[in-house]
Amino acid sequence: MRKPEIVVSLVLAGVCGPVWAGHAEDDWPEPVKSYRTGQILFDRLEVTRTDNDEDVLVWDMLAWYGSDRNRLYFKSEGENQKDDGEPTELESAEVLASRLIAPFWELQGGVGTRGSLASGAERENYLVFSLFGVAPYRFEMDNSVTVNEDGDIAATIEAEYDLRLSQVSYLQPRMEISAAMTDAQDYNRPSGLNDIRVGLRYRYELSREFAPYIGAYWSRSLGDKADQIRAGGGDDSETGLVIGARLWF
Amino acid sequence: MEKPVEAGRRRFIKSAIGAASALAMAKMAPTWASPLGRSYGDVVNADPAVDLHIRREDMDIGGKIGRPITINGSMPGPLIRLKEGQRARLNVTNSLADDTSIHWHGIILPENMDGVPGVSFPGIKPGETFQYEYDVKQNGTYWYHSHSGLQEQLGHLGPLVIDPADGDIGADREHVIILSDWTFEDPDEVFRNLTVAEGYYNYQQRTLGDTFADIRRQGLAKTWEQRSMWNKMRMSSRDLLDVTGSTYTYLMNGRDNATNWTALYKPGEKVRLRIINGSAMSFFDFRIPGLEMTVVSADGQPIKPVTVDEFRIGVAETYDVIVTPKSDRPYTLFAESMDRSGYVRGTLATEVGQEAQVPDLRPVPERGMAAMGMSHEMDGMDMSSSEGDESGMGGQHEMHGDHGGGMAASQQRPSAPDLGIEHAPGGHGPAAAMIARNPVSRLNEPGVGLEDVDHRVLVYGDLIGAHPWPDEREPERDIELHLTGNMEKYMWSFDGVKFTEVDGPVEFKHGERLRLIMVNDTMMDHPIHLHGMWMELENGQSPRPRKHTISLKPSEVVSLQISADAPGSWAFHCHLLYHMKAGMFRVVNVS
Repeated sequence: MRKPEIVVSLVLAGVCGPVWAGHAEDDWPEPVKSYRTGQILFDRLEVTRTDNDEDVLVWDMLAWYGSDRNRLYFKSEGENQKDDGEPTELESAEVLASRLIAPFWELQGGVGTRGSLASGAERENYLVFSLFGVAPYRFEMDNSVTVNEDGDIAATIEAEYDLRLSQVSYLQPRMEISAAMTDAQDYNRPSGLNDIRVGLRYRYELSREFAPYIGAYWSRSLGDKADQIRAGGGDDSETGLVIGARLWF
Repeated sequence: MEKPVEAGRRRFIKSAIGAASALAMAKMAPTWASPLGRSYGDVVNADPAVDLHIRREDMDIGGKIGRPITINGSMPGPLIRLKEGQRARLNVTNSLADDTSIHWHGIILPENMDGVPGVSFPGIKPGETFQYEYDVKQNGTYWYHSHSGLQEQLGHLGPLVIDPADGDIGADREHVIILSDWTFEDPDEVFRNLTVAEGYYNYQQRTLGDTFADIRRQGLAKTWEQRSMWNKMRMSSRDLLDVTGSTYTYLMNGRDNATNWTALYKPGEKVRLRIINGSAMSFFDFRIPGLEMTVVSADGQPIKPVTVDEFRIGVAETYDVIVTPKSDRPYTLFAESMDRSGYVRGTLATEVGQEAQVPDLRPVPERGMAAMGMSHEMDGMDMSSSEGDESGMGGQHEMHGDHGGGMAASQQRPSAPDLGIEHAPGGHGPAAAMIARNPVSRLNEPGVGLEDVDHRVLVYGDLIGAHPWPDEREPERDIELHLTGNMEKYMWSFDGVKFTEVDGPVEFKHGERLRLIMVNDTMMDHPIHLHGMWMELENGQSPRPRKHTISLKPSEVVSLQISADAPGSWAFHCHLLYHMKAGMFRVVNVS
């Protein structure tokens, strides 16, 4: 446990060593020590049944370690469609350094990759910057801009809200919008708004750490992306039911 | 330490509870918490030295086995009785696996005897014995506790009573009541839960149903106005205590509600209750339904008697009250946690085994909105301007002061000086989610949840020192400190800077008289404790009351006069244990 701690200490720039703020002998302990902690949170770990009768396993997780001001994050989203013979689709896997810049906001920067997890598949590597935190009215947000190796710029906005029905149950509306600033046809991201996805989940906490939920979502492609899908004979919208759990440890 | 109670009384107790349960009880609660209390005239601690042995051991706590830290085999630790004028000799032996310490809370003593590892001494290593030795120059009700890590949460605490030189306790009988909060969770785990999951222990949050109820009662417009204020600020009006009855078992002298700690009295006797809040995180509201209480001492220091029906006791504070039960019946000693998530009760009775009716917990109070409407508590609150999005909280500033039914004293209370605090633009950075734009004195308010009770509630404005204190100079200078916090990240600090981030101690000049001004820029109550020196509260009363721990309400400003007469380094911190751990701690250097 000692080693990762040292590594993380080195990674987390801006962490100053504790400054002695009192009067004491050198070999006395500090009266209050700085601390670090961390969490692994699966915000969504669910099985989706789409309106095309496909079953898809979806994950949306993050893990962090650090202090209150400086943290190291790992975030990942992805899905695997059952019985389609295709490999798992990684929507994102990112490592970010994070700095608390305002009481409710962290500015994060790092690197990420996305694409098929099939062996030999070409994945898209990118730089990512996020504004992560809680907006007024308690919307939990993760807003990211990514720049890939070709200079393609894309952005996503994710917002969640917990409407408390009881002390342990919540109705959670959720929205995700993605857009591309530049044409990235290789990655199926024409310039403009690309996708919108909204969801509604009812969650019940068996403990603070483990909360199963059920819900539904609706997603739709937008702008040029929708046109391209329709031109290819595809369906530009999708609905589905989800069952899953939010859990952390 | 105490003279054995006379044999007849002892037999009476034994027969009342039976030999087997007596044994269980002795293991469950400290033996000093005898139902008989101590009658005036008993000899106090005549031993030259007190030996205290610190261990970790299994113990029955409210019917379940926990593993607290014990002192001489009990949790809370033994009642230490000293006498004003004696030389205290206390030998503390550490049989824990970790370093430990004992801080003598509220005692004026030399710097190196104060017991704060890293500030006054290096701490007590496992297997070592540390000899504390100091002249006792005061009397009253105090307590002691570990100042190492989170040991206090494990029950490393106990009462400390100092008898006056003349031995007169001002009553026929006395009982010591120490309140504490016990959890079967590991305190480090509690702290982690607070840091990674805001509201982890709060099962009293507002729900959609509350909002509908508000709309029915007061209309949509008003409800929207209130809810949007709180939600814009991303704060909860039900965020009263960080750690609640959802994990805590509240204890009175180490006993839970079922075990019912009992204090005996004889009708017509004047009984002095020495009430100590030794909990880690819990403010209590204390009352004895059917009995009025005359408060005669605050934080061990005598005050002019004030008669009340209830008082709020912040963490680490002590109050002495005199009660004179006349009828031959039991009374419930009722300590309700400030957030109404739980309580602990005992009984003041004429015989062991008696019980009186236990009141129901009152409804969960709400900050600001309790008064329905644009409560004064919300006035002047603003989220940190460092973020740029103004929340528009600048409602009409209403008159503070006496309000609701909380009036305790019959006399009109004076008001504290108006200090006219102004914040620099920019707030206190990311560590402060809020600044109090118009902080005001709230010394004459009973506090959240007690605004509208229909009986007398003690307020700080009622406290009048029993006599003037020796240093009557006017303060030469002011020092201003702001209490800051960010609940979302569980950051707690002074002036937005945690202890691990500050660049030096708070400097007092030895011999100076100064005024400490504190502003609470958070949405929580904080009990702030200064080691080594008294703080005289500027509440408009004369003489001023003096305290070792002062609780600040949200958005409140208080001023305190201090004689910097104790050379050395002293701890200064929020006495909510996990706030201190999170960084709400400073060192004051007097030189």
